[in-house]
Amino acid sequence: MGYAARDNEFDVIIVGGGITGAGTARDCAIRGLKVLLVERHDIATGATGRNHGLLHSGARYAVTDRESAEECIKENMILRKIARHCVEETEGLFLTLPEDDLEYQKKFVESCQAAGINAKVIDPKEAMRMEPSANPDIIGAVQVPDGAVDPFRLTSANVIDAKLHGAKVLVYSEVTRIIKDGDTVKGVEVYNTITKQKAEYYAPITVNAGGIWGQRIAELAGTKINMFPAKGALLIFGHRVNNVVLNRCRKPANADILVPGDTICLIGTTSSRVPFEEVDNMYVTADEVDVLLKEGEKLAPSLASTRILRAYAGVRPLVATDDDPSGRNISRGIVLLDHETRDGIKGFVTITGGKLMTYRLMAEWATDLVCKKLGVDKKCVTMNTPLPGSEHEEIDEISKKTWAKPGTPHKATVGRHGGRAVQIGLENEYEASLVCECEEVSVGEVKYAINELDVHNLVDLRRRTRVGMGTCQGELCACRASGLLADAHKCTERAKADLKNFVNERWKGMYPVCWGDTLRESEYSQWIYSGVCGLEAEEESPKTE
Amino acid sequence: MNMQEKNISENNFEQCIKCTVCTVYCPVVPVNPLYPGPKQAGPDGERLRLKKGLFFDDTLKYCLNCKRCEVACPSGVRIGDIIQAARIKYGSGSPKLRDMILANTDFMGSVATVAAPVVNATLGLKPVKAVMDGVLKVDKRRTFPKYTSKKFESWYKGIASSQDSFGKHVSYFHGCYVNYNYPQLGKDVITVMNALGYGVHLLENEKCCGTALISNGMIDQAKRNAEHNIGSLRKSVQEKKMPVIGASSSCMFTIRDEYPHLLGVDNKDVRDSFELATRFIYRLIEDGKAKLVFKKDYKANVAYHTPCHMERLGWSIFSTELIRIIPGVTLTVLDSNCCGIAGTYGFKKENYEVSQAIGKPLFDQIGRIAPDYVACDCETCKWQIEMSTGVTVKNPISILAEALDLEATAAANR
Amino acid sequence: MKFDTIIIGGGLSGLVCGIRLQKAGRKCAIVSAGQSAMHFSSGTFDLLGRLPDGTPVDDPIEAISKLDGGHPYSILGADSVEKYAAEAEDFFAGCGIKVSGNAHKNTWRVTPTGERKPSWLTISDFTPLEAKDSAIGSKALIVNILGYLDFNTRFLADSFERQGTSCRIESIKLDEMERLRKNPSEMRATNIARVMDRDGVWEKAAAKVKEKLQGEDVLVLPAVFGLKDASVVEKMREAIGVRTMFIATMPPSVPGIRSQLTLRAEFEKAGGRFFLGDTVVDADYNEDGTVKSIGTVNFGDIRLYADDFVLASGSFFSKGLIATPEKVCEPVFGADLTIAEGRDNWFDRNFWKRQNYISFGATVSSSLNVSVEGREIANLYAIGSLVGGCNALYEGCGGGVAIITAMKAADVILEK
Repeated sequence: MGYAARDNEFDVIIVGGGITGAGTARDCAIRGLKVLLVERHDIATGATGRNHGLLHSGARYAVTDRESAEECIKENMILRKIARHCVEETEGLFLTLPEDDLEYQKKFVESCQAAGINAKVIDPKEAMRMEPSANPDIIGAVQVPDGAVDPFRLTSANVIDAKLHGAKVLVYSEVTRIIKDGDTVKGVEVYNTITKQKAEYYAPITVNAGGIWGQRIAELAGTKINMFPAKGALLIFGHRVNNVVLNRCRKPANADILVPGDTICLIGTTSSRVPFEEVDNMYVTADEVDVLLKEGEKLAPSLASTRILRAYAGVRPLVATDDDPSGRNISRGIVLLDHETRDGIKGFVTITGGKLMTYRLMAEWATDLVCKKLGVDKKCVTMNTPLPGSEHEEIDEISKKTWAKPGTPHKATVGRHGGRAVQIGLENEYEASLVCECEEVSVGEVKYAINELDVHNLVDLRRRTRVGMGTCQGELCACRASGLLADAHKCTERAKADLKNFVNERWKGMYPVCWGDTLRESEYSQWIYSGVCGLEAEEESPKTE
Repeated sequence: MNMQEKNISENNFEQCIKCTVCTVYCPVVPVNPLYPGPKQAGPDGERLRLKKGLFFDDTLKYCLNCKRCEVACPSGVRIGDIIQAARIKYGSGSPKLRDMILANTDFMGSVATVAAPVVNATLGLKPVKAVMDGVLKVDKRRTFPKYTSKKFESWYKGIASSQDSFGKHVSYFHGCYVNYNYPQLGKDVITVMNALGYGVHLLENEKCCGTALISNGMIDQAKRNAEHNIGSLRKSVQEKKMPVIGASSSCMFTIRDEYPHLLGVDNKDVRDSFELATRFIYRLIEDGKAKLVFKKDYKANVAYHTPCHMERLGWSIFSTELIRIIPGVTLTVLDSNCCGIAGTYGFKKENYEVSQAIGKPLFDQIGRIAPDYVACDCETCKWQIEMSTGVTVKNPISILAEALDLEATAAANR
Repeated sequence: MKFDTIIIGGGLSGLVCGIRLQKAGRKCAIVSAGQSAMHFSSGTFDLLGRLPDGTPVDDPIEAISKLDGGHPYSILGADSVEKYAAEAEDFFAGCGIKVSGNAHKNTWRVTPTGERKPSWLTISDFTPLEAKDSAIGSKALIVNILGYLDFNTRFLADSFERQGTSCRIESIKLDEMERLRKNPSEMRATNIARVMDRDGVWEKAAAKVKEKLQGEDVLVLPAVFGLKDASVVEKMREAIGVRTMFIATMPPSVPGIRSQLTLRAEFEKAGGRFFLGDTVVDADYNEDGTVKSIGTVNFGDIRLYADDFVLASGSFFSKGLIATPEKVCEPVFGADLTIAEGRDNWFDRNFWKRQNYISFGATVSSSLNVSVEGREIANLYAIGSLVGGCNALYEGCGGGVAIITAMKAADVILEK
């Protein structure tokens, strides 16, 4: 585009580095727009990184929300093609327990079929063969094309592709002001929380993809969107108990989905309304843990004796449409607001609602609108264009092509980065040595993430590589990775503060489920970090005798 | 509320706290950089393998299955079991000819015993060693155990009737080594038990315990043997009311622990009635039911080596306490280190150097102490230590047989 | 099988207690479910670094009077603590472990991340600092082994520089280490030490380190020397010539493991029996309520009898304490515990603040007897980190409590 000449001038500014913003940035960039993506933290930090990681077949919505169900199954099939290194094709089961109404199964299957979801009633025995961890008491089972999707990987791949198509990405950059000229949005003022500097960026269109935080962005633009913050808590277990997604075949309720995701599995969710002021500080309560365990055990009895790694909660970015106190019956539908027609604010668009599964479609709609406003006539191609890393080959093939003798760490790396793993140096001993032993993350992969994937701290690194996501939650790897970050950023003070922050962030997920082996693990971490290393809380004011 | 009261998963790898203690005690890690180490191969790798089998790493074959990681683990993780189970579940198809030959200790034994003079001669010949080394990848530097010309079982037939005259009775699981290579140990077991007033009967139709079959990936055959042997144990224990003893620590360990953990063969009902002869005798003495009388002039400087599987069983105490009560014996318990042979592992050409390097600290210590002989409950350790140090290795039962005043002991226990 | 005393737990306190009893002629057995927390040792033992209210402690003995009554030091009394603390140095020397320290004056150790922590007894590998802000020298050379990730040279340099020491960071490459480096996960302190301990290798390492020196007055190295034999550490110092400080690494800890091996060997040399990898499953009692015997996994139907039993089974990590969502218990005897009720009170949401669960443990009498359901058991004692009432990490008293309770329990048994 000819008219965007200066460094701080773009065709479109996208606010929010969740999956929606990342997907929109990619779509816009592929269609030739000059794109700026701004995110106040790291990518995938909001609701994007705090959900099940379920590749919905749509079946869950089939009975209550046909439109969402149809969108889901279509996007499901697209993601299998374009995001294969982020997706696991596990299949899913909807199980009817003795306490559930078997009548619901009939209605469920009919609704699925009407929405175009291939739902098959199968014999409970066959279901047990498919997934031996399922509750053997089940009285009914339906097979659906569910799967698992890694939201961090998916967001990262979208960002990589946006950048490959010329987009500029600013993380740790918070929008502090929307620059307006009369009723026209001209751009954003951004505060970089690392450099502590402000800057202004201009574009004829600004897209608000802030999720639940989009409410604030809209306020800055001088308008109002009523978001509906609904907290959902989940538990992560130490390893994969199941290899097939397990759902309860009943009306959506607490803890009725158990999803295998990478090396773990997770059960969720609960649903409770939270005040908007609390969305930045979500704590999982003991009651939530209890209900998740109680219900989870019904899906897969062995969860009762499986170590829980951590508990966490996300906030669903639903747009309020009624007064439903649970937030469950609100449509997961996509909401695209053209504020010019809605509120008379020109150059400002909000894309919200929807869900992880439909991010690509949301991006397509938003980009269509942006293009229309800019007078650009380019069709969306993202439904047919594989994301970087997802070009064709499987883990085994890529590994064998890349290394003479690929071991478990090599394959784990390919599992995380797909075809782009070939760019990761694992050739010499130093690069091949492991930083994170639980998840098999090597020095080479950490360096790649720092250099290529906008990693600023250990928590970012975790989102890109799974460092610290394993059983020990960062006991040895955090310290090792911290050393590498100190080298990369040439700042030890920051690295040490970052190390403390990372360990604390891990602890936040652990203490709600801290008993048994999780408590043993925590005590060991305390010995290492507080004892051997002698690290302490910052604000402790030393007293004198 | 009972939730999570017992959060001990069947997959007990998740009790792993990632403390790294196991890596300190793995004998392979310091000498073979290709082996990922017990933590990586075991609990760490298992999480990935549960995701997809393709994360299985072929280098797990370098695990000796010595279980020293399990002994060291403060969390009770069965690390060795996890590694062996992964090899069984994900390891590539059919074993090599060499492995099949090495693993089939009883079949090989039957053939070799018949032709013992020839086999012993040819196994020592240079051209034969060259063929074994080049074609079969059995290391030529390895000294082979000699095969006996008369199987223990055949010898036993000649004395079987004498055993009925005793008042008390036990069954005896002798193992392949006693049968084909070293019947003397079996004879010593009978000598000692007879002196204590027990008639000794062979376990009916004993088959190879399967230690070598498991480590060479021949799981179906191992399972068949296991089911057969457990059947025989049941018959002895439950029908004939005869407890079963053995004198080989690896057979003992395999039957007691590997059967249920790796082969899925349930042995709960007979496991407690199958024990090492030294443990059996120790209990008799402690309960005041047996008395040992020793030769007045027996003197020996003995060093006890704790085989890996004895370390895992935690039973070396029974062997050492028995040796200690022999008045003329001075006993040194050697530092508990793996000798490096690990059954058939050390026989394989690709493992020879590693195997000898693993054993070096042990050999060095034996060299420094220079005992009259080494005491040890495991026969493969015996081959390895004798070959590598030149010091004779004797089973504690054989030492008892030598040191006991048999007539006086028999009289005291009548 | 019958012993005079059976100790459950083979860590620092179990071994100290066992050695003391065994050397006094008692027949002891130690049952240890795996290796102990000494494998993660910092290389020093602390006595008391800070009061529960956060006040730093300079003279631990003098500070005991400020502890509340439930603290193990208060239970034993300051005089008793002082007496045992004074014996500790000789005790370890008698076991072949050289330590130094003063119970009336804390020194400071440099941690792997460059912090300073108060300490009492320092294993001779390490160099205690006189004050928290002592500079280690004017110019320091920090040398790492190429490819070793658990020694954070930058963090150390940063902390030394804050005290005015200028630092340079180098690494050395040894051919003997290259084989180990082929393994992506096993470049650990202990495996490095195994290679370094070989004759010829540490000499080469010392020579390479010397080559890197450019007039620095202090050299900083990771503590990866002398896994089996402490003399390698001293020989390194001599060969290098320049004042050398070894700094503890991330686990596993070479000096910690060496100390553990040395103590175990001392215990066995004195005639003690050490059963490693075995777990106590149950206990039975005499008519008078005293413990009669214990059963273990490996011993099966052969029970272990003793006149006295000492619980040195550690805290949660070693499963001396077991936590479920609802409660904490001591699994063998069901000993009475000092704990905070309600899971919310176990933890602080900030990892780096005092965590209450660290202070959970057995409630003991002045002679360290344990009680069950309120009834004191005359021949059962608790020692080490199983003892409740002190926060070993926050107060910096884990080492002292382990050593002093172990000596005290041994003396109580000997005086019976």
